[in-house]
Amino acid sequence: MKVNPNFLKEVKKYGAFDISKCFNCGNCTAICPLSAQDASFPRKMIRYAQVGAEKEIESSLEPWLCYYCGECSDTCPRQAYPGEFMMTLRRYLIAKYDLTGISAFFYRFPWVQNLLTIGIFAVSLAFFLSYTGDFQELAAKIELAFPVYVTLAIAAYVFTFYRKTILEKAKKFVLSINFSNIKETLIHGLTQKNFAGCSDTDWTRWIAHLFVMSGYTLTLVISNLHLLEPLKVQYSVSEFRTFLVFYAASAIILGGFIMMFRRAAKKVQSSSFSHSSDWLFVIMLFLIGLSTLSAHISNIILGPEDKIVELLYKLNIAVEVAWIIVIVPFTKWIHIFFRPMAVYLRNLKKEEAEGKALAFSLPFIK
Amino acid sequence: MSENLTEKEHTVNENYRQKPRVAVYVCHCGGNISDVIDVKRVAQELSKYPNVAVSREYAFMCSSTGQDYIVDDIRNNGINRVVVAACSPALHELTFRGALSRAGLNPYLYEHVNIREQSSWVHKNDKEGATVKAIALIKAGVEKILRQDPLNSIRVEAVHAAAVIGGGIAGMRAALSCADNGLEAVIIEKSDSLGGNLNRKGKVYPSNRQAFEVAGELSKKVLSNPNIKVYLNSEISFVGGYVGNFQVNGKKSDGKFEKVKAGAIIMATGFDHYKPQKGEYGAGLSDMVITLPQFESVFEDLDGKKFIFGGREISSVAFMHCVGSRQIDGLDKPGKNGKVNDYCSRICCTAAISAANRLKEKFPETAIYDIYTDMRTYGMEHEEYYKSASENDIIFFRRPLEERPQVEIKEGKIHIKTRDILTMNEEMEIETDLLVLSTGLMPRDISDLVEYMKLPKSADGFLQEVHPKLRPVECANNGIFLAGTVQGPMDIRETLQAANTAAVKAAALLSAPDIPLDPFVAVVDEDKCTGCGLCPAECSYEGALVMTEKDVKGKKKKVACVNPALCKGCGACAAVCQPRAINVAGWTLDQFDAMVEAIAKE
Ligand SMILES: Cc1cc2nc3c(=O)[nH]c(=O)nc-3n(C[C@H](O)[C@H](O)[C@H](O)COP(=O)(O)OP(=O)(O)OC[C@H]3O[C@@H](n4cnc5c(N)ncnc54)[C@H](O)[C@@H]3O)c2cc1C
Ligand code: SF4
Ligand code: SF4
Repeated sequence: MKVNPNFLKEVKKYGAFDISKCFNCGNCTAICPLSAQDASFPRKMIRYAQVGAEKEIESSLEPWLCYYCGECSDTCPRQAYPGEFMMTLRRYLIAKYDLTGISAFFYRFPWVQNLLTIGIFAVSLAFFLSYTGDFQELAAKIELAFPVYVTLAIAAYVFTFYRKTILEKAKKFVLSINFSNIKETLIHGLTQKNFAGCSDTDWTRWIAHLFVMSGYTLTLVISNLHLLEPLKVQYSVSEFRTFLVFYAASAIILGGFIMMFRRAAKKVQSSSFSHSSDWLFVIMLFLIGLSTLSAHISNIILGPEDKIVELLYKLNIAVEVAWIIVIVPFTKWIHIFFRPMAVYLRNLKKEEAEGKALAFSLPFIK
Repeated sequence: MSENLTEKEHTVNENYRQKPRVAVYVCHCGGNISDVIDVKRVAQELSKYPNVAVSREYAFMCSSTGQDYIVDDIRNNGINRVVVAACSPALHELTFRGALSRAGLNPYLYEHVNIREQSSWVHKNDKEGATVKAIALIKAGVEKILRQDPLNSIRVEAVHAAAVIGGGIAGMRAALSCADNGLEAVIIEKSDSLGGNLNRKGKVYPSNRQAFEVAGELSKKVLSNPNIKVYLNSEISFVGGYVGNFQVNGKKSDGKFEKVKAGAIIMATGFDHYKPQKGEYGAGLSDMVITLPQFESVFEDLDGKKFIFGGREISSVAFMHCVGSRQIDGLDKPGKNGKVNDYCSRICCTAAISAANRLKEKFPETAIYDIYTDMRTYGMEHEEYYKSASENDIIFFRRPLEERPQVEIKEGKIHIKTRDILTMNEEMEIETDLLVLSTGLMPRDISDLVEYMKLPKSADGFLQEVHPKLRPVECANNGIFLAGTVQGPMDIRETLQAANTAAVKAAALLSAPDIPLDPFVAVVDEDKCTGCGLCPAECSYEGALVMTEKDVKGKKKKVACVNPALCKGCGACAAVCQPRAINVAGWTLDQFDAMVEAIAKE
């Protein structure tokens, strides 16, 4: 393995400023409830970074198996904050897997991302407010564009992730169609189940995560399927859709609130370091929940014709536009996809080693 | 007897001349002995033994109550010989001799029988056997003490000066401490200056001061001290005499001799740097592979923004630990003495890391690698160097002790291949501009001095102390002390501590007008001696035993003659003397006969 002394400097641009202090004792790995024989971390990952093993890092699933309970950082005798290093690796890898290079740029210059978010929000809002046509129609089109854009972005990530972790090593296309693997992947995706593996499970964090995750996914479904037309239809309290919106929005608000509070209080390891993108992420999430909920409630009370309903709805769509364009593809938000996928790929690797995975040779891979 | 020797009567109480009355005390050692040995039975058995007047057992004989039993029995029960069966004599023989002295009895009319190490501890599972063995050992002790003459310690008049051989920091510090303690000190230094290996450029941990400044500060003090003489450019040509009366001759470069008389000698001849053999870790393959001392000597002179060495700009440096230390038989080439250095040189880890840190400070852009086997930055604050090195982004590699990294030179660059325990045992390839070998400390070749003084060496080739814990700076040769790296690898702090200790030991030895020595030396019964001359050939200590013409009861006769100050009491002479004319006092052949008889009986 060739040693590259400059690599760590590159990683440190994404955080983990203390990681050089690590003297490889392995306490962090020993205490980590999620580290396993076939996926050992954080020390191994730290070591790869120290010697500049870029390839090994980029093909690792380990960063996504860490849920940042922070026990490693509490245990580290050198105060190297290995947990924060794992978080940093996730930021680094997202930037690396993002073929456009925009994520990397945003991490380096977070104020650009902040400005851009505010800018896009402001421009869209101004445009929406001055829009004289049928806004409900326009909103329908915008909401239709969301899934296309997001799917494209995610697909690109998923492919790079697959290529770096599997394809480049196996040199062939492998797939797992094992039912239990698919089930496990889905469960992980929906519940972030591995949190529970952290022995000192931080239940508040898990619940906050679960709220945000479910609320957020639901919001996506609601808007992508264009389930709501608050400028056309008056909804009632007892309606199923109202229930969905209430759940989604309050889950986001509650979860987001807990997260914000913890970031500000910095009481636990996982929240003690904040990159400005972390703040942007929670604040925006919070705003989405708030604007969706207020638009819907005002619709129930005031009816679809009311000016206030229209204003709140336009606000809601403007926030979503900024969110979808700037935040979804270019921040660690994407990790909610990487996590379950890492679970899937880890099982796939096992199956492949045992010769149980489906394999196709592809002519263009040598 | 030599003219320097005097005798002082120890004994005040003459009752040893009366019929022997032996007291036996069996110690429990708080269970250490009594848990295995039936001490009551032992005491009872011994009370029936001929000439035993008192036999007791007690929990802790070394306690003041225990000692009081002895004093009381001597004063009030007419006891004139004492046996204590307890722990090892190394621990408490002196304690009980003291009790005899206090009671007014000659302290050498005491026998210490070890029934702990030699019975209860080694026969834990055989209580009966241990008890029987203890009884036999104590009976032998009684038989021995019955045949013991009262002895007097030998007193040697002493010269109140110390000869310090070697003028490095150890020698200088020792000389200063001798002077502080009222001794004259003479430093005999081979080279033309004081300071030894610290007479160089380069900062030394932990103070980060220049080495020559540390040495210079000491030498200034030494040179201005009226009680210290310094002879430079002096090769030792002769060392003779014995404790209290040594003679050291130094031959100066102009051929003249300095004759130094001293009561004690402090050995401070220091260490040599290890010189790597060609090809060893790339040594000699390129000018870009250098040793740590070489690095230190050039590094201090560098200034400016760029690290230029050998006409090239250096952007990466690797440090290699354990070069010439912790070597393995069969894997490393042996040195001149035919042996590999399997010891750890102790200072090279911290020295290499502190050099790496200084390098990073001066040239922050340099990539620095550090290849170690075990990180041995022991000692106060030294772990901090290791920590700062990590923080300075120095990249560490841990190679297995039994693997030798491969070093190759390709297109002017140094390529190191090493297995790395930290990276899951993978083989790492490191490319660097400069490779610094952290060479260790070697014993210096002082074979002439070793020969003159018959100095004991350790397996590693350094001079050896009597006991690493109990007598850490004393040489087995009476009156010779060890200071600093002559004894093994030490850093400056440890060297100075050792030097101070050696000086204080020398001063304590020479504090009285004469020196008391144990009386267990060979004595000649001149009546029995036939003058055959067999015994001097057996003696390994020069001058301890010679044949001389003497007046014995009016007749001129050739007899063996012992110098008690030089005799070690080994008994080699006694073994060859057929008429049993020569014996070691306190350990005569008659005593041995009786002991064997007592053990073998029944
Ligand atoms: C590469 C390296 C780096 C080091 N860095 C540090 C550091 O940063 N910090 C630290 O604390 N320690 C350091 N040390 C250790 C330090 O150098 C020693 O602790 C110290 O020099 C020991 O002093 P000494 O007086 O025992 O021996 P020496 O310095 O070797 O002095 C011995 C003296 O005896 C003289 N001599 C030898 N033979 C005879 C003879 N036959 N007759 C008369 N005179 C004789 C010699 O000429 C010499 O003057 C380092 C050692 C090495 C090898
Ligand atoms: S506990 Fe700390 S020092 Fe030890 S390996 Fe983990 S990060 Fe490194
Ligand atoms: S101090 Fe360190 S470099 Fe020197 S021999 Fe010991 S382990 Fe090796």
